[in-house]
Amino acid sequence: MASGMQAANLTLLRRLLLLVLLMFGFAWGLVPLYRVICEVTGLNRVVVADAMPGRDAAQIAARPVLLQLDAMVQPGLPWQVRPLQSRLQVKTGQFIQLQYELRNNSRQQVVGQAIPRYLPAEAAAYVKKLECFCFRQQLFQPGETRRFPVVLVIDRALPAAIDSITLSYSVFDVPQGEGRP
Amino acid sequence: MAIAGLAAVPQQSHRPHGWRRWLFATNHKDIGSLYLWFAFCMFLVGGVLALCIRAELFRPGLQFFQPELFNQLTTLHGLIMVFGAIMPAFTGLANWMLPLMIGAPDMAFARMNNWSFWLLPPAMALLLLSFVVPGGAAAAGWTLYAPLSVQLGMGMDLTIFAIHILGVSSIMGAINIVVTIINLRAPGMGMMKMPMFAWASLITAYLIIAVMPVLAGAVTMVLTDRHFGTHFFNAAGGGDPILYQHVFWFFGHPEVYIMALPAFGIVSQVIPTFARKPLFGYTSMVYATSSIGVLSFMVWAHHMFVTGMPATAQLFFMYATMLIAVPTGVKVFNWIATMWEGSMSFETPMLFAIGFILLFTIGGLSGVTLSVAAVDVQLHGSYYVVAHFHYVLVAGALFSLFSAVYYWFPKMTGKMYSERLGRLHFWWSLLWFNVTFFPMHFLGLAGMPRRIPDYALQFTQFNQIASVGAFMFGLGQLIFLVNILYSLRHGKTAAQQPWEGGNTLEWRLPTPAPYHSFSEAPQLDVAENGVVVAMQGGKHG
Repeated sequence: MASGMQAANLTLLRRLLLLVLLMFGFAWGLVPLYRVICEVTGLNRVVVADAMPGRDAAQIAARPVLLQLDAMVQPGLPWQVRPLQSRLQVKTGQFIQLQYELRNNSRQQVVGQAIPRYLPAEAAAYVKKLECFCFRQQLFQPGETRRFPVVLVIDRALPAAIDSITLSYSVFDVPQGEGRP
Repeated sequence: MAIAGLAAVPQQSHRPHGWRRWLFATNHKDIGSLYLWFAFCMFLVGGVLALCIRAELFRPGLQFFQPELFNQLTTLHGLIMVFGAIMPAFTGLANWMLPLMIGAPDMAFARMNNWSFWLLPPAMALLLLSFVVPGGAAAAGWTLYAPLSVQLGMGMDLTIFAIHILGVSSIMGAINIVVTIINLRAPGMGMMKMPMFAWASLITAYLIIAVMPVLAGAVTMVLTDRHFGTHFFNAAGGGDPILYQHVFWFFGHPEVYIMALPAFGIVSQVIPTFARKPLFGYTSMVYATSSIGVLSFMVWAHHMFVTGMPATAQLFFMYATMLIAVPTGVKVFNWIATMWEGSMSFETPMLFAIGFILLFTIGGLSGVTLSVAAVDVQLHGSYYVVAHFHYVLVAGALFSLFSAVYYWFPKMTGKMYSERLGRLHFWWSLLWFNVTFFPMHFLGLAGMPRRIPDYALQFTQFNQIASVGAFMFGLGQLIFLVNILYSLRHGKTAAQQPWEGGNTLEWRLPTPAPYHSFSEAPQLDVAENGVVVAMQGGKHG
């Protein structure tokens, strides 16, 4: 093979290797890019300050809704979480008070953050929480058990197709010394 | 300089014997053969895993495997077939045939070529070894979704390292293909004249170079999540498992075309030969292949319609995905138009190529069905998806590979394969392939999920049909092995031009192709799709 051809081959080889490096970097670049996109679009914003039910909503008649309560813990985490009632027959527009019991099963001090989820997901916009342990991180001593009140109102504008809502909390571990106090 | 050593071409007359010939192989034909045999072995291994899966699914309830082991079987079946069988087989064919089809003396970087092959066996050994480590092999599906892949045992670490090695191997192979095609074409073999197989290999190689590093990045993040305290994908630590899916499918969707484009290339060589007509719409074929390559980077999130994407994003990915059906449709149209009024004959390569067009189109149509976001919500993760991708990968990639092996077997070996066994292999495969995978459409529509060892009773009959089909299909592949082994020894001597309609450059070589071909480049006058009009010079050392 002519040496001129060899040089051309090596130039192309270097360019392609550079492309490989760039694409490897791109994979890592997707991590901050993903975060930025989620922030800009608000896709991952799970805790949003609720407004009080709208004024025109007050004109809609209250109707009965079945509220089911649930909780789950990621495998390997020390929490035990349970609602004190598993289901409630409630009315839209009514102030509802319920209680959750959280227990730290480990021998360490842990900080937890609860994330609420709603089923069906479109019900999320109509459940207005006024008080919730999910609003802030909670510090637990080893073996500590605490009960938390949750106060919420279901907006009367709730679509007629929804006659039962499941509220489920997942509790995550917050590594100590990270995140907001 | 170390990098220059990669390019050194060994002495032309040098031909080592015994194990050295294979371990130190730098000849593109030897390396191509190594790739093809390795891929066939892995095809058998992956096939045995598939048969284990089908045996378990023959009846509802747990018969042979616990769910943990069953998940390992599905995962390793996928990984081995994708990275161990189909990709190496296409790279092997490119190694064997590209230099012959474009008039190059060898691949551009002969020693790097050796490395790209010899990295494969250790990588596959790591994958298979993971079955016997504590906790067993990776069981998260071939997509290795987090958080499952973050939680599994050490089999997952072996899988991650195997993927790293496979990535390096396929990137080196791809670089070799790009440089060979760009720099080593014989005079007269213009870019817009070269065979479609060369075009398809070129675009595939670019896709590999662009996305294999992304997969390497994704699995490296899983690795650091597992062992080095990062939380890329761990929600409990502020990460996001959905991020993994985005990174993975940014690799994963182009990967689908890495396994499909070379098949398009092969079929675009075989159909004109046996229809005795030039390829219809060569230029549109080139542009269709390129646009499929480009579009493949813009559709990844159609694998993620159920992750809770906003409707606008779902619409974008849905329409972008449907757009791919346009260039693919152009290709199918062109193949059919090539056959139109051609004087066709139906030797085995042609049978497999026609079978490819028929079944790949069915797989493509079920793909368009799945691309509808609203429908995908129902079908996601069901057996409908399994049916879809086996139609495009088995009847697509695999059938095209069989077609290619039968087509070029005389040129590679100097012997003719047995036409009777070849036809038996085709009709047997066509029948049992459909018996295996067609019922899976119905299973998926009825709601049977993927990757489960047990199922509800109403799915029993279709599963039994599929299992019988799978075992018969598997058995049929032994016909292929027997045909190859028998013909290597006792096959009739092949003519230099075994196919009347074969008019690309490789058919101008003596049969079997000399160990060192085109040591002096020929002067060519070439028409579209690599059809040689006139050739002057060209020496074989």
